[in-house]
Amino acid sequence: MNENLHERARQLLAQSVVEGLSPADETWLREHLAACSSCVQEAAATQNVLRALRAVPVSLPRDLAARTQLRVRLRAQQTSPAANGSFWLWAVTAASWLLGVFSAPLVWRGFAWLGANFGVPKLALQFGFVLWWTVPPLLAAAIILHQKALTAEWSNKN
Amino acid sequence: MSTPAFTLTVAPQPLLFAGIMTDDTNALATGLRQRDPDLLDRLIEQYQQRLYRYLLFLTGNPSLAEDLFQETWIRVLERGSQYNGKSKFESWLFAIARNLVIDASRRKKMSSLEDLGDPDSNMPYDPPDERASSVLQMLVSRENDESVQLSLLKIPPYYREVLLLRFSEDLGLEEISAVMATPISTVKSRLYRGLAALKTAMTDGAA
Repeated sequence: MNENLHERARQLLAQSVVEGLSPADETWLREHLAACSSCVQEAAATQNVLRALRAVPVSLPRDLAARTQLRVRLRAQQTSPAANGSFWLWAVTAASWLLGVFSAPLVWRGFAWLGANFGVPKLALQFGFVLWWTVPPLLAAAIILHQKALTAEWSNKN
Repeated sequence: MSTPAFTLTVAPQPLLFAGIMTDDTNALATGLRQRDPDLLDRLIEQYQQRLYRYLLFLTGNPSLAEDLFQETWIRVLERGSQYNGKSKFESWLFAIARNLVIDASRRKKMSSLEDLGDPDSNMPYDPPDERASSVLQMLVSRENDESVQLSLLKIPPYYREVLLLRFSEDLGLEEISAVMATPISTVKSRLYRGLAALKTAMTDGAA
């Protein structure tokens, strides 16, 4: 038999397992294999390789899944918003802001009383009133940003 | 001469976990975005054999494979929101693992897995050292005396990887291309050459 035919058969055998064959090529290959013992051996060798590759068994390290699950859960806890405190920080900030809104009339009266009784300049009182509103959220934002930076640094290290 | 018992097709193997088909990638993506710990537990259980085997044969180092296995799942937790559900989960998982192997090889200069990226370079393949191979052999089941598994260790890692992804993990050509971030034509070329290299290694081993 022509050597080119064997070479084509070998190429088609490889192609059949890598990317599949057209119906015409598959028919040609089957007919060739029916008449060629050396290519049948080649086909058997290919199938032997594939069979072994599909069943490459490996012994897993002891408790690998359990240890990984534990590590993943720990990391999830460490990096969750509730665990790193930002959830409660946001909650306290929101409560503080609401308190500020509802206590504003009282605070304004308090500042007015200070101005009337101690002669504090109006500009100083207005500045104090602005600080009363802005310091808590600015402080909270600074803490959150600092925490995020620490978390990112910790993640990069690990 | 009689017609040989010869099949040309690969039967797909469906995988199940806790009632959710792995094909349900949208449900998976949602769970990963929510960092669902129970989902992650199930995924770790389901993919432990495949992922560890992939890492073990890629690195040739059981201890490193174990570290990278755990690191891969940490990445899955932290980057779960990046999985969009449009591709198979295992493709995404293996891509993460592969990147970690490459990072580790850059750090530790192991038997250069950087060569995974360029099999056509003129750099000769440096097989794993004897000690690493023997440790690996202990972990590989000896049920197949023909030791195809051991022959796998004799071929370059860029062929070993693509053969494992195609025939052990049943990934399609496009999925392998996504895992390796290489064109499909490169994947095909490595598969052809890898099969030939493995057959030669088996023949040499049997001789």
